[in-house]
Amino acid sequence: MDRRKLLTSAVLGGAAGLVGATALGSLSPEDVFAAEGANAKINPGDPDPNFVEGRITGITDTVLFVTSSDGSLHSIRVTNGTSIWKLNPTTFDEVKVGDGLYARGLRLADGTLAADSLWVNIVNLNAHVDSIGRGSLNLDHHGQRVVAHVENGRSAAVYNNTPAVSDMSMLEAGKHVKVIGAWHPDTNEITISTVYAAV
Amino acid sequence: MPTTIAALAPLLIGGVLLWSGSLKLFGRHAAAEARRTALAGLVGEARVVPAYRILGGLELLIAVALIAPPPLWIDLAAGAALSAGFIAYLGYAALAAPASSCGCMGSRPSRISWRAFARAGTMLLASAAALLWAPSIAWYTELSGEPVLFTAVLAAEALLVAGLSPEFDHRWLLPLRRLHNRLTHPLSGGGFEIPLDSTVTQLIRSGVYRHTAAALRSDVTEHWDEGEWRFLVYSARYENRPATAVYAVPRLRYAPDDVRVAMVDEEEGTTLLTMDTPPPEDSRPEWVLTNPLPEHVRTA
Repeated sequence: MDRRKLLTSAVLGGAAGLVGATALGSLSPEDVFAAEGANAKINPGDPDPNFVEGRITGITDTVLFVTSSDGSLHSIRVTNGTSIWKLNPTTFDEVKVGDGLYARGLRLADGTLAADSLWVNIVNLNAHVDSIGRGSLNLDHHGQRVVAHVENGRSAAVYNNTPAVSDMSMLEAGKHVKVIGAWHPDTNEITISTVYAAV
Repeated sequence: MPTTIAALAPLLIGGVLLWSGSLKLFGRHAAAEARRTALAGLVGEARVVPAYRILGGLELLIAVALIAPPPLWIDLAAGAALSAGFIAYLGYAALAAPASSCGCMGSRPSRISWRAFARAGTMLLASAAALLWAPSIAWYTELSGEPVLFTAVLAAEALLVAGLSPEFDHRWLLPLRRLHNRLTHPLSGGGFEIPLDSTVTQLIRSGVYRHTAAALRSDVTEHWDEGEWRFLVYSARYENRPATAVYAVPRLRYAPDDVRVAMVDEEEGTTLLTMDTPPPEDSRPEWVLTNPLPEHVRTA
């Protein structure tokens, strides 16, 4: 792939040489927020204009129509530079009507959110492992049963805050876990992205 | 034999009621547990704790009447009525407040499930059997008559009730599940792939990332492996134009100091910036650098 070749040689080629910190100029958070102008001014208690959560009710070209949990309607424009997460970094054609999402970006003058990042169906659960089946965990999430599937090669485990590994075999029934995963819409099932556990 | 089984019902029901009644009446968390039950819907929020305690007292009273001599059919009838009432209450709770605790045996919250119904049903059956076949046979005379059979049957029934009680699961079901998992390894086969999450963690802990993260606009858009490197791509803004930030992170070793970055303008195909070591950091505290005192304060 040409693009990957270009990017690989840019980062490993070393042709441009080391650039000092001064060349980076204004990377401090204050300057970055100041550059975004009016968007940085949010009154306390107001919703963040640059963030949207909800369910996708329609998709037209590269615009997603989203209904938030408070009932408000949003349109979200996805560009080439938008990162899309759905269990792992993926592409726009994986996004389906009915999916839930979190989106962050920049609100345009017409009210559309130009998305920088989309996280599709992402969930964050604190739960107890009720039992462990072949390739899945049965979780007790505040009394609600959630089936968390393990996808080999994708799902990762973080034990005691060490870097993530693919080995899930140290999880134990009866223990507390925190799970970041992708929800299967309208079911009580998720696929595990990362599970955090103490061993 | 049926007489024996029927005759020990008062002991079984009495034992269970003794246990659940004393937890309701004297348990340390009884008040909190009461509020979690579906009783609130029946008697109102304000009266739920006294109602819970009165129920516990009633259970204790019937328990003592069942176990202590003389054997009376009225005791058994009271036990059967309590069991039937409890099944009706469970049915109401399952319909009206399915998320509430069943409030059966006090000590720890447990959701209403088929097991709660099965346990209450066992109690009802036992008291009905006793009413039919042995309304006036005392359990202690049966015990002295056939001690081995009586003890064995009572133990079996007690095990059945305990097995139907989620309150005891951590004593036998959980260790059993753990043993089963240790023997069968249901989650083995994860392989030795380095997860993306691991690489991202390493990236975030690198000095190069700390000096360039403010320019990033998105999460990971793309990633691929090549030799010992894993490449992570982000959308960024650099010098007021859109750019692509590509990081090279060591894939198979943990070495955050080796992380490199390039900012690329993909439309023009030019590299705007590369960095393989973070620039030297100012040793002064951060607030000196980012928050100088305003002019009028300094001159005052």
